[in-house]
Amino acid sequence: MGFEFSVITDSIPALLAGAKLTWIITLLGIFGGMIFGILAGLGRLAGSEYLGETPHNRLSKGVATFIRYLSGGYVETIRGTPIIVQAMFIYFAFPMLVKALTDIERFRIEALTAAVITIVINAGAYIAEIVRGSVMSVNKGQIEAGLSLGISRFQLIAHIIGPIAFRRMIPPLGNQFIISLKDTSLFIVIGVGELTRQGQEIMASNFRALEIWLTVAIMYLIMTTVLAMSLRTIERKMKIF
Amino acid sequence: MAHIIEMQDVCKSFGHTQVLHNIDFAIEEGEVVVIIGPSGSGKSTLIRCINCLEMISSGTLIVDSIRIPEERKRIREIRLEVGMVFQQFNLFPHLTALENVAFGPLKSRGMKKKEAVDIAADLLAKVGLSTFQDKLPGQLSGGQQQRVAIARALAVNPKVMLFDEPTSALDPEMIGEVLDVMKSIAHQSGMTMAVVTHEMGFASQVGDRLIFMDDGRIVEEGKPSEVMKNPRSERLRDFLGHVKHH
Ligand SMILES: Nc1ncnc2c1ncn2[C@@H]1O[C@H](COP(=O)(O)OP(=O)(O)OP(=O)(O)O)[C@@H](O)[C@H]1O
Ligand SMILES: [Mg+2]
Repeated sequence: MGFEFSVITDSIPALLAGAKLTWIITLLGIFGGMIFGILAGLGRLAGSEYLGETPHNRLSKGVATFIRYLSGGYVETIRGTPIIVQAMFIYFAFPMLVKALTDIERFRIEALTAAVITIVINAGAYIAEIVRGSVMSVNKGQIEAGLSLGISRFQLIAHIIGPIAFRRMIPPLGNQFIISLKDTSLFIVIGVGELTRQGQEIMASNFRALEIWLTVAIMYLIMTTVLAMSLRTIERKMKIF
Repeated sequence: MAHIIEMQDVCKSFGHTQVLHNIDFAIEEGEVVVIIGPSGSGKSTLIRCINCLEMISSGTLIVDSIRIPEERKRIREIRLEVGMVFQQFNLFPHLTALENVAFGPLKSRGMKKKEAVDIAADLLAKVGLSTFQDKLPGQLSGGQQQRVAIARALAVNPKVMLFDEPTSALDPEMIGEVLDVMKSIAHQSGMTMAVVTHEMGFASQVGDRLIFMDDGRIVEEGKPSEVMKNPRSERLRDFLGHVKHH
């Protein structure tokens, strides 16, 4: 029972289908994660000078504090629990919660949907910290220069703080995107037919561990390389300052 | 004469430290006021209060007839009328020189792109930087960056310009080019200016009035040449001796 190349060629269509699902979950997940991350990252800085808040011009103190606690609670909860528990919670526990709290009888979440939501929420928490750190690194003088021109806070964030901070976010974002892609392999536990699950099923029927896991590993490597290279391209296209 | 800026009994504290003590002072339209004083005397704080980068703790500030604190909702209007130039230039690092200067007209004055770019190109020509339009701040010398920063503040078409030690971060050979630009703004456009600087030559040539601050108070003021020739207080004499030796 040596290394059988035909095992690989036979398994490729099923593995590709799995890889496609992995790719879809990752892309939707990091897209949503970016939205969550930007909102929560800025939320944790609500009412601070990092967003050009000056003492006379701030959000009502109560609102800002509420937003800060809400965002902070989200980030700490997600960072403090394993992603596999989060997936289980969303897929199994959340529908129970809905049933317990409402009259909805047959509430359930598709496994694929649960997988995407898990990545969105999980990546969002880590991206929030990336956003927060990058925004805090923007020079205070540049924020004051913007304010002194009489622009609004929204313009300040959109045209000055945002672009300067974004440049610094790219390397850590690349890291997080790759982690999120690999995290999709955990959805084997909620029965999503992604790449790892496809590998596992083929392996269970033919016991060719070497050929199958080698192919699976290479497919992951190709996908993470594509992600890393796209971010490098974005980085290179941006002006250097 | 019309006062474009007025401070009545203004105090400013950071936490428990009081930095400005009962400041009463006004600037007339077209006047160039030079502010000097030792480090920590409150010069920056004073001019940062004028465009509300710092909020006064008590007293009244009137800028172009907008009253603070009563009309604090109108701070953006004040900032449109009051441009500021910083010691560290603070150009937007991701924008070219032209984009930096066009930023104000475009975003805060809401002009059309073409109009804003025309204004920016004109101003860059005025500060002698037409050929550097497409350079990023990181590709410019300190003196060039500061001239772009002056053009950026002027582009919003303010009535008053504030300068906080605009030449202090520059190598000696670049100080002249920035002072020359400031002189031409004062002389050609009759701009109202408040300038914190230790350049005594500039103060006597361009300044209509010299203010000496110490420990959060205005200690002496008057015509620059007179104040410098006949300092009344010991502290100003000490300070002038110090500045001249540098
Ligand atoms: N944001 C702040 N928080 C706390 N204290 C501050 C703050 N800004 C200034 N101060 C204090 O206020 C005092 C006056 O500072 P300011 O910067 O106005 O002085 P300055 O005359 O401009 O000095 P320099 O010549 O060094 O620029 C100093 O004692 C300074 O430590
Ligand atoms: Mg200062």
